[in-house]
Amino acid sequence: MSAPGIAAPARRGRRTRYRLRVATVAACLTLMCVVAGAVAARVYHGQTLLLLVAGAAFGAFAIGFALRNRPSFLAPSLSATGLAAYLLGAIVLTSDGTDPLGTTIVDALVNAVPRTLTALIPVEPVPDTVVVPVFLTWLAATLSCEFAIRYGRTLLGCLPPTLLYGAGLYLVGPNADAGPLFAVAFCVLAAAALAVTAAPPERRPDRDATVEGQAPSRTPALMGAVVTTTVLLAAVAVLGPAAARLVTTSPGDPREYVEPPQLTDIDLNPLVRIAQWAQFPDQELFKADTSADAWMRLAVLTKYDGTTWQAEGDFRTAGTVIPGAGEATYSADVEIIELGGKLVPAAADPAGVTDLPIAVNLYTKCLLTPDGLATGTSFHVDSALVPEPTGVETARPDLSDPATVTLPPAPPEIMTQIAEYINTTFDTPYERAQGLADFLSQHYAFDPEAPSGHDLPALGFFLGSPVTAGGQTGTSEQFAASYAIIARMVGLPSRVVVGFDVPAGSSTVTAAQGQAWPEVAFDGPGWVRFDPMPAAGVAPIPPEDTLEKMEEETPSPEEAEGGGGEAEDFNDEALEQDGDFNEEAGQEDAGIPRWVWYAAAALLLACVPLALKARRALRRRRRLRTGTPAERVAGAWAEVLAEAARAGVKIPDHANAEEAAVRLSALKADIGPLPRLVNAAAFAPGAVSEADADAATGLVAPFSRTIRHQVKWMRRVLT
Amino acid sequence: MHDTEQTHPLRVPRHIQQQPVQLVAAQAEQFAATFEALASAVDTVVLGKQEVVRLALTAMFAQGHILLEDVPGTGKTTLARTIAAAVSGQWRRIQFTPDLLPSDVSGVTIFNQASGAFEFHPGPVFANIVIADEINRASPKTQSALLEVMEEGRVTVDGNPHQVPQPFLVVATQNPVEMDGTYRLPEAQLDRFLVKLSVGYPVEAAEIEVLRGTHQRSPEHLSPVVDTDTVAQMAEMAKHVYIAEPLYAYLVQLANATRNHPQVAVGVSPRGLIALTRAASVFALSQGRTYIIPEDVKALAGPVFTHRIQLAPDAAMRGTTGAAIVADAFEQVPVPLPASAA
Repeated sequence: MSAPGIAAPARRGRRTRYRLRVATVAACLTLMCVVAGAVAARVYHGQTLLLLVAGAAFGAFAIGFALRNRPSFLAPSLSATGLAAYLLGAIVLTSDGTDPLGTTIVDALVNAVPRTLTALIPVEPVPDTVVVPVFLTWLAATLSCEFAIRYGRTLLGCLPPTLLYGAGLYLVGPNADAGPLFAVAFCVLAAAALAVTAAPPERRPDRDATVEGQAPSRTPALMGAVVTTTVLLAAVAVLGPAAARLVTTSPGDPREYVEPPQLTDIDLNPLVRIAQWAQFPDQELFKADTSADAWMRLAVLTKYDGTTWQAEGDFRTAGTVIPGAGEATYSADVEIIELGGKLVPAAADPAGVTDLPIAVNLYTKCLLTPDGLATGTSFHVDSALVPEPTGVETARPDLSDPATVTLPPAPPEIMTQIAEYINTTFDTPYERAQGLADFLSQHYAFDPEAPSGHDLPALGFFLGSPVTAGGQTGTSEQFAASYAIIARMVGLPSRVVVGFDVPAGSSTVTAAQGQAWPEVAFDGPGWVRFDPMPAAGVAPIPPEDTLEKMEEETPSPEEAEGGGGEAEDFNDEALEQDGDFNEEAGQEDAGIPRWVWYAAAALLLACVPLALKARRALRRRRRLRTGTPAERVAGAWAEVLAEAARAGVKIPDHANAEEAAVRLSALKADIGPLPRLVNAAAFAPGAVSEADADAATGLVAPFSRTIRHQVKWMRRVLT
Repeated sequence: MHDTEQTHPLRVPRHIQQQPVQLVAAQAEQFAATFEALASAVDTVVLGKQEVVRLALTAMFAQGHILLEDVPGTGKTTLARTIAAAVSGQWRRIQFTPDLLPSDVSGVTIFNQASGAFEFHPGPVFANIVIADEINRASPKTQSALLEVMEEGRVTVDGNPHQVPQPFLVVATQNPVEMDGTYRLPEAQLDRFLVKLSVGYPVEAAEIEVLRGTHQRSPEHLSPVVDTDTVAQMAEMAKHVYIAEPLYAYLVQLANATRNHPQVAVGVSPRGLIALTRAASVFALSQGRTYIIPEDVKALAGPVFTHRIQLAPDAAMRGTTGAAIVADAFEQVPVPLPASAA
């Protein structure tokens, strides 16, 4: 016997609504894949990868969506073919064409994973680095489409984009901001997809046009999703800042597991080159064609162990763009003549290097070429010149990096005396930094013939030995090294930089232009260069004269206790009272009190049960009062099962109405003829009247009241 | 009962018998009343076996055959004879023995010297209700003589087909414990029985009642309640019971669950699925409904499916039963109720 058919217009209407719903789910999931890909694309240079992953997501979904009603083996087969074609296109698009296409493809496929995980930020979109994101995006989109569109499991369909999102976050690591907008967009899309979720295959009108009954309305689910999303977004907005302050660890960076390019001895301690350059000032190191006067840095030396100053060895492979630099304001074309080693001269902060494979130290922004410099090597470097620091006179020292204040054991006595002099004579950090530079430049002399060396005995000899014995003269090696150590002794974070003073225009940089100089870190202005070198033609003042005079003027301990000339501790809490150093800190504390945030969060959390209760009431109202009699009976049945589930009696989906009634009898609440009516509503056309629907819906409220005391408190509040 | 074509409430008018018909509630209630009258009549002889009696009658109205399997003395033959007695049609009993020949069942063609022609002498299978007692004692060759008549309602002898009277019902009995001198029914034969029922021992009160009235309760003392025409009309009505679309998918998923069960070698056949649908239709009408619900399917799946499931050898060795497989299938397939899909 054939079933009475649904009227054709109604069936078409249902089918149209269903297709719109499925298309909406597909669009949301596609955009989720795009957002997940965009998370990873943040560490890529330009928009190329973003466009590629977006194309991959749309392509994969288009294939899966078009084949959703075809045999299940077709979609993976065609999707794999499409993926291969798309990958080939992506490789061709991002290849520079220098190698044969076959070599490029094989190289990209073989090395894609390690190079993607180890390329420096921002990652250049080349075949090696785009294959993995494109592949994963395509795969995630294909799986998502299969789960959500073919099988109607939208929640499961959200899993691949979520995993892709997680993979993107892992790839980004700590190299980009938290990206809250991406997270919010992702959550909103997921909520939207779940709200208009697809139906399971057995209820799909476009696959089986003879499906009986009405498709369930999604209004309650939509409202629930909207309410839940609103509450979650509000909770994230309010609790997010507080929660973020509780998290003290940074995300892991996969690039940490990569063996960095190794420095040679000469690169580890380029300070030893200063003496050689001073002895042979006419040695031509490189040609430079620059756009402005600038100091081109070769190395930044932070670690001092009492013997040598050493460069940071943590270099990572970079593309043509150096991460973290601002807009390039300076350019230089460099051709190497006799400059050796691996370190590459560039003005701070380098923004981009072309024609030379480059690794960069993310902390000091120094450059390195793994193959080393050789005569004839030429490259172009753009830099965002560090502007003249402002406000340095009132800035506090930046003590965030312990390595910049680490002192060697047992510094020479003369260093201690100079440090005491500086502490006694100057008050503010900047005055002490500048005072130290002035002290060295006024009391010591430059001598290109001075022996090399910057270990503690050598520096003690430079600072304390009489002129007649060869002391008190040195090169910038000794001046910069001494300054940096003494600066640390007076509480200033310091480092030594080796580089060149390069004038604007085209010139040949000789060894005479090579120099070492100290820098001091200030909170706000950053690293500030100081020049301790003596002015030409000025006779130095014997340092012992100045130091002895200071000892004579030093007050007794009793006087010193009164605040006379003791060294000022810039980290002392008492200094917080000084207006000079507290402006920023004061601004930080002027925000909304923390208790306000907590109160708002508590208020929002208190609203959750009310929102859930409202959602439940709306859903019950819709189920019991709208639709045909059969739909109202079905709604009453759904309400009874939902209430029973809240009371802890869950009806399995394989239970028929009679079995469900037996299980519900455990609640000792009457459901009367409801099992018979729901069977009639589900399996008999037109067998349920309005009176039957009224009888069925009238059972729900008494049932709920009867079992209310059996619902646990937590479930009553949170379901 | 023969002249009530225009007035009998159970009769489906001939002019609409060939097209889909929506039964009305009154017809279903009349069906249920007749069904209950017949069942009550059988209950007066077969005490304490209401469920088995109703399942057997369900099979009869679904135009299927019944296999009664139980130990000796539980009333299998009595049940078969009582059903035959309650229907005022022609019934025959065949006592199956090892030396029974196919021609003893289907009939023989004999040369009539008087007329000088061959004449067909119908066998006992030519009756409305055929009781095949202890069917597994006959040889496979003789058992196979029933295959054609059970499936197609006719007997072919010497190349000539002979129709058996309609309705035609085979009620076979067999003893599961005594295996000497018996031949297990082949799967093809089993598949032709719509249900396989076990009578079982009666409960204590019913057994006492049996002892009290041994002589009074006999099929011979039972008056017919319905005639064969009425049975045929009721069977025709059962074909018009409404089956909702989701239930078709539910039935197929149940069959697939038995076929894909890891402990099953051969699951339920499409013939078994059709049999369940027919039986459920009758069951729904017997409850006064014009439509099938999942409860009907569940009530009949055991008797209809169990004997059609061939267990894997290791599962059979471990004592797994067809009933357990059917129960597993119901655990796996969701019932298409509205709330479960919402």
